Amino acid sequence: MSIFSYNGAAIVAMAGKECVAIGSDLRFGVQMQTITCDTPKVFKIHDKLYLGLSGLLTDAQTLHQKLMFRHNLYKLREERDMKPSTFGHMLSNALYERRFGPYFAAPVVAGLEPDGTPFLCGMDTIGAIETAKDFMITGTSPESLYGMCESMWRPDMEPDELFETVAQCLMSGFDRDALAGWGAVIHVITKDKVISRTLKTRMD
Amino acid sequence: MDVSRGASHSEAAPSTGTTIVACTYKGGVVFGADGRVSIGNYIMNRASNKIAPLSEYIFLCRSGSAPDTQIISDNVRHYLHQASAESGEEPSVLMAANLVRLLNYNNKDHLVGAMLVVGWDKHAGGQVYGVPISGTLAKEKWAIDGSGSSYIWGYCDSEFKEDMTREEAENWVKEALALAMTRDASSGGTIRMYTLDGAGVHHTYIPGDQVPQFVGDLPFPTGNPGGAVLGSAAREGGMVIG
Repeated sequence: MSIFSYNGAAIVAMAGKECVAIGSDLRFGVQMQTITCDTPKVFKIHDKLYLGLSGLLTDAQTLHQKLMFRHNLYKLREERDMKPSTFGHMLSNALYERRFGPYFAAPVVAGLEPDGTPFLCGMDTIGAIETAKDFMITGTSPESLYGMCESMWRPDMEPDELFETVAQCLMSGFDRDALAGWGAVIHVITKDKVISRTLKTRMD
Repeated sequence: MDVSRGASHSEAAPSTGTTIVACTYKGGVVFGADGRVSIGNYIMNRASNKIAPLSEYIFLCRSGSAPDTQIISDNVRHYLHQASAESGEEPSVLMAANLVRLLNYNNKDHLVGAMLVVGWDKHAGGQVYGVPISGTLAKEKWAIDGSGSSYIWGYCDSEFKEDMTREEAENWVKEALALAMTRDASSGGTIRMYTLDGAGVHHTYIPGDQVPQFVGDLPFPTGNPGGAVLGSAAREGGMVIG
């Protein structure tokens, strides 16, 4: 089995009208055995910036801890939070530093820039960065997720609509993936608050 | 951005990574299977039928390689049909089980089929035979097989009772399947269950949203992977490195 499908994940991020939403499944498993269903793969960096990491969970966790460390130092020096676009490029650089012994994790960055515009980007495991205006996905079943997002995304969705769309794309996407699912969590980031919701899904 | 090229559709063979469960009860047999067929981690069919009829009252629960078990069931159905035409009687479950077993044994280098032959005949009533890979034959009071069965041996051992009523047996099969489907990633989807009591074949189809659930309302996940451990260590006054 590939190292990238050892644990399993499904992550979807989408941009709406002055808001972004990012969600992931909750399964933690080792190959075909499911261990827990309360392991989200989306982590908060600051109030307007969330990071989703798929792939090998140990690398996702370590990468998250290293990035929190770097962001904390940045905050102490700059006395402000890091912009999502800056964070994306920093992450890309951090991944490429390990070009010949990479972290087996593929990130998706979702946030709101200081002026309120949504920011979405995704990377492969060695840091090739691509920004998008509509959606970004990663996980063990990318075809399913791309198919759903491509069909259901529309521009300028309000936060509630955006939540619905991300929820449906994520759920229908991971229902066809044996290694992802068992619940989902979705964060909708707007300029004044973040609304986080868990979804009760089929647990198989 | 595709990071999951391993065990993808182009490389893996379709398998009924499965859970199949069968038991005898006072009056007949109850048996069932999940509905998932996967190629690697892609769920190719989420509502498949893994229970193949071999004759009117004899069924084959299939797990292992999907094509291998389909061929075995087609072959045995054909032999049984011929045999019952020649004898003029309904075929016996033991004969069906032996035919499946012989196919498994004589082609053990090529076939990967772990199956249960379950049925009812007038000689011995309800019977359950396990026919795992390589060609053993084992008559049992209850049997389970497939990748998901690993998770339910404890449940089956502790909850099985001799001479259960039909309702108790059906619940036993349904719960065992639901528990396995929760833990095994290659089992899931739907439950198909059959009851044979000598009077006829009763088929129950349980769609995905009606499968018993064992994971209740979970607290909101903290999303702090290393943080929980480090946080509690820090609170207790210990040194935290990292």
